[in-house]
Amino acid sequence: MTVDDSIRLDNPAGCPITHYHEVNQDVRPAGWHFDNFDAKREEAPVHTGIAGAPDNQYFLVTRMADIRHSYQTPETFSNSAVVPADPNPMYRWIPEMLDGRLHTAWRHLLGPFFTPGAVAAMEPMVRRRFTEVLDSVADRGECDFVHDVALLYPNVIFMDLFGLPRDHAEQFQAWEVDILHGGHTDGGQRRMDAMIAVMGYFSGLIKERRDDPDPSRTDIVSKSIDFEIDGEHVSDQDLLDFCLLMFMAGLDTVAAQLAFSWWHLATHDDDRRRIVSEPSLIPTAIEEFLRYYSFVTPSRKVMHDIEIAGCPVKAGQMVYLPLVSANRDPREFDRADEVVIDREPNRHIAFGAGPHRCLGSHLARQELRIAMEEWHQRIPDYRLAPGAEIMEHGGQVGISNLPIVWDV
Amino acid sequence: MRIVVDHALCSGHGRCASVAPSVYQLDEQGFCAIVEADVAPGDEAAAISGANNCPERAISITE
Repeated sequence: MTVDDSIRLDNPAGCPITHYHEVNQDVRPAGWHFDNFDAKREEAPVHTGIAGAPDNQYFLVTRMADIRHSYQTPETFSNSAVVPADPNPMYRWIPEMLDGRLHTAWRHLLGPFFTPGAVAAMEPMVRRRFTEVLDSVADRGECDFVHDVALLYPNVIFMDLFGLPRDHAEQFQAWEVDILHGGHTDGGQRRMDAMIAVMGYFSGLIKERRDDPDPSRTDIVSKSIDFEIDGEHVSDQDLLDFCLLMFMAGLDTVAAQLAFSWWHLATHDDDRRRIVSEPSLIPTAIEEFLRYYSFVTPSRKVMHDIEIAGCPVKAGQMVYLPLVSANRDPREFDRADEVVIDREPNRHIAFGAGPHRCLGSHLARQELRIAMEEWHQRIPDYRLAPGAEIMEHGGQVGISNLPIVWDV
Repeated sequence: MRIVVDHALCSGHGRCASVAPSVYQLDEQGFCAIVEADVAPGDEAAAISGANNCPERAISITE
């Protein structure tokens, strides 16, 4: 996409101009988006530009203090729109895009499924699922880590959480790649087709669980059928909007974090050897990978006129708040630009901040820990396949391919 | 030494209970169970570590 340079932005503070498409590219060498945000952060605390439509002026906020404050002030920074190019979305994912009381009510209903205690009870199942995935590649001596491991594993866990057959995981993975990984040459038709298919699948699932309730079922869809807010059952549309968010938030995120972590470990022998020889360091190392490779880049819609770092922002405008930009801010972290796998303390916001803190953060951490433990017990030494060019996609930033090899 | 937790800020990250389980426990929704508490002798370093790992900066330590 090109943007006419003659577009006049309302910019009395003289912020640097950075259009959204300049920080959100389709296919680039791995790490490109993060390096780019680093440069923007050190240039200025706020940039402005156009996101999507030429009349849609947005603001990129780059430093930890301002980003954290924005997430912690939901009365001003609304979740009713969460993508810079789409300030008036036709969709409402639940609970992500809810504000205020309604958001709190949903979080209260969903919270018990995702507390550290609930997640700990799932550990044997999660470990068994990762071991199955590992079994499928361990003897081969090579795999594409993204497709064979990172994408598949959270999909399989999702099947268990939702009470779905294990063999639907591959179909979910294909839909996920079509919807979230961009790089399409067919004008978005595949993305649209996949989105329609996912909505159809979940609509059918909700109807099935409504029509044929089975009290012995403990999966989250069966339980959510009975959710009530203010004395009323939640609607089928709300349940669909909830399922769609679980799909968007629960699958690709763990996959992306795994891929960035293994990319790091495959290319940093000292760090890899250290977690192999000191597995008790794995939870601390995971926090550091979360900090350094924070691929989630949310936005908020400003509800009333404000100033951010001296820059006026008007009601209705979008602010773009990349977590990685906050988490690599040298004003907040010593050696912010290095991976320090025993970093302590580590006050990163990779799971966001404020009331919308990632609901699945504890499950995500557990999935990451189990994968890192099991993999390195079985395959302690691995490296990038010779000549491999590792690429990443924008939108929801993630590594597109990660061919690795090991001796068998 | 005393811990004060700002529950307007606590968002259930659970980092305090994860890095310092001897000092911090979570309630049934996963939020820090402490409002104000004295730190037991010997737990000072753990209390500080829990505060320093809180992404929301919700935990204050006072002498």
